Amino acid sequence: MLATLLALCALLVACGGEDEAAETAREGGGGEAVRVALVTDIGGLDDKSFNFLANQGLKRAREELGVEGRVLISRSPQDYVPNLSSAAQQGYDLVIAVGFLMSESVATVAPRFPDVDFAIVDFPQSGLKGKPKNVRGLLFKEQEAGYLAGYLAGLSVEDGATVSSVGGQKIPPVDHYIAGYQAGAKAANPSVKTLNGYSQDFVDQAKCKEVALTQISRGSKVVFQVAGGCGLGALDAAKQRDVWGIGVDADQSNLGEHILTSALKKVDVAVFEAIESVQGGTFQGGADSVFDVKSGGVGLGKISATVPQDVADEVEDVERQIADGEIANIPDAVK
Amino acid sequence: MSEQEPERRELAEPDTPERAEHPTGGDYAPSVAARLALFQRAGGILTPLLTAVVAFFVGGLVVLVTTGKNPLRTYEAIFNGSGLNWLFPWVRGEERFLAGLNLQQTLLLTTALILTGLAVAFAFRCGLFNIGGQGQYLAGAIVAVWVGGALSGLPRVAHVVLAIVIGALAGAVLAGIAGLLKATVGAHEVITTIMLNWIVVWIGTYAFGLGGPLQNETLAVPISEDVAETAKLPVFWGDPLLQGLHVGLFVALAALVAFWIVLNRTTLGYEVRAVGFNPEAARYGGINVPRNYFLAMAISGLFAGLAGALDILGWQFRLSVSDVQVSALGFIGIAVALLGRNTAIGVGLSALLFGALLNGTSTRNLDPEVFPPELASNLTLIIQGLVVLFVGADVLVLYLWQLRRRLRGRSAVPPRAEAAT
Repeated sequence: MLATLLALCALLVACGGEDEAAETAREGGGGEAVRVALVTDIGGLDDKSFNFLANQGLKRAREELGVEGRVLISRSPQDYVPNLSSAAQQGYDLVIAVGFLMSESVATVAPRFPDVDFAIVDFPQSGLKGKPKNVRGLLFKEQEAGYLAGYLAGLSVEDGATVSSVGGQKIPPVDHYIAGYQAGAKAANPSVKTLNGYSQDFVDQAKCKEVALTQISRGSKVVFQVAGGCGLGALDAAKQRDVWGIGVDADQSNLGEHILTSALKKVDVAVFEAIESVQGGTFQGGADSVFDVKSGGVGLGKISATVPQDVADEVEDVERQIADGEIANIPDAVK
Repeated sequence: MSEQEPERRELAEPDTPERAEHPTGGDYAPSVAARLALFQRAGGILTPLLTAVVAFFVGGLVVLVTTGKNPLRTYEAIFNGSGLNWLFPWVRGEERFLAGLNLQQTLLLTTALILTGLAVAFAFRCGLFNIGGQGQYLAGAIVAVWVGGALSGLPRVAHVVLAIVIGALAGAVLAGIAGLLKATVGAHEVITTIMLNWIVVWIGTYAFGLGGPLQNETLAVPISEDVAETAKLPVFWGDPLLQGLHVGLFVALAALVAFWIVLNRTTLGYEVRAVGFNPEAARYGGINVPRNYFLAMAISGLFAGLAGALDILGWQFRLSVSDVQVSALGFIGIAVALLGRNTAIGVGLSALLFGALLNGTSTRNLDPEVFPPELASNLTLIIQGLVVLFVGADVLVLYLWQLRRRLRGRSAVPPRAEAAT
């Protein structure tokens, strides 16, 4: 036993030498690249939702713009302030906070580092305490994507049928989606009934599955998940009971043929554009960027191949109308 | 072969009457206490140390196999990330400043873990397994948010003390319910504390959710209002605005001393330990066992509630629905108590170890070149899991070791018994 331990230790030390050599080789690069730090909220990078997408945006910026990027994962609320401030202290040019949970921490940290640009996903700059001038909010009109998804759902079911939604928590970004979804379904077919429930969770798939199964047993023919990783359970329930499922945030059509479409919120695009603006010197704090159908920041993902072409065309037409402002005042609060 | 058979019967026999002597509900506690007694007899400081070393070693193998990175450098990075290198006098300048920042975060975690660890340890010493540390921690935190936010006219000292005391009491009341149920109707504390955990989680979800009574009024997000300035604990090391180290650390250290004194130098502690070793014997000795069950649970809850209150008043200042749902410090307290062998000094040291581990593996401290950030948080869980596993495994080893001794002892008996007949 002892001999094995010693042998393994020797092995470990041997590897150490190689690693150091590799590092000195790597240090040759560098230059004046923009440095970007991305701070996730407690959902982590595998949430299949905005943390994941934000990281995709950062990855794209690394490849296409040549920026230097680093991801800081928050595992508990205790990580928020140290993550944000250590990034700012280490001279990152742009620090991106993902999610409203970090709003207070951004409001605390940003004023201490006036030379660093900050961006926060899903929270308006004007809502931050002290309204720091070096922060830009990245907001989305989720209700427009929800409206399109709801419209397609309304066209895909018979008269008088029920469509439903499973939210993670009752928070603004989630309710935007759901309100739009319900309005869209009613607009496509006024006889459609809607159901809505919250799982109170963004991670545990079992909870969303339970909510979805209840809705399906109450007659729902389309289940729209608005609950990040938890919502995958809702889509699983749809598959099991042979009804339609609608994905959220990222395109989830790869989950199977039961996916009608996905309501997209292109956090990756928002993050990429924020990084691009810092690199180009046009980043402006003290205001918000709003991403909508018109700017291509929200929209629909791949529509199922079994949907008739004329239905798909009709939805596309609605999308154009939203972009042109012909369809406005889509509700963003769930009644 | 035929000679071994009577031995086996002999082995089985003494066990059955023992079981029968402990009717329903009581048979769990002695085994917990017996385990504990075994720990303390057979290990001292050596077993927990070995446990930790082996866990780190296997963790290192996992690093090597899964990532191909050098585990020694990974551990060095974790050590520096925990800020413990601040203790080395040769660390200077910028590096020392960063180490200080990291150490502050490590000690913030240690503060909470000492107390949640004590919450598990104290009940353990009475033969009770308190899995409700998480709920008691949250109860303390929720009440601290409420008291800290509501009574904003008070002078600072009074406000802070009041919020801490009421927060700790909230934890005590919650655990006291489980203790009372155990004492009166024999409801198992493992079941009741787990159920109480969920009750607190859902109270928090309701209170801080949109439209809830403690949700903040200015923003449409499920987060509470901040506690008043007068309720915030003073920061004695680091930047108060950037989550420096607050004086709650000293409260936690004082709690360690109080834990030791109560257990080892008071009648209450004597009774609690007596019940922990053997409730039947304690009862025979004139100790009121149900009363001690209740008190031990309530005191456990006091520690956990204190942890929650200190976290809120020291650095967190607010709670969100998500915080309530993902918080896990109460559960890590179980691992802290297990590794610390339910003693004051053990809990203190293992709280520091777990705090350092949690903070040292945070992605801000692990250079992506040393360890990929996507895996960093999993590494903590792996090492943590291994520690718990080996704590369990060394119980197994000790058990086998004792069993072997017992077997030897018994095999020596039968020939003489045969000779007598």
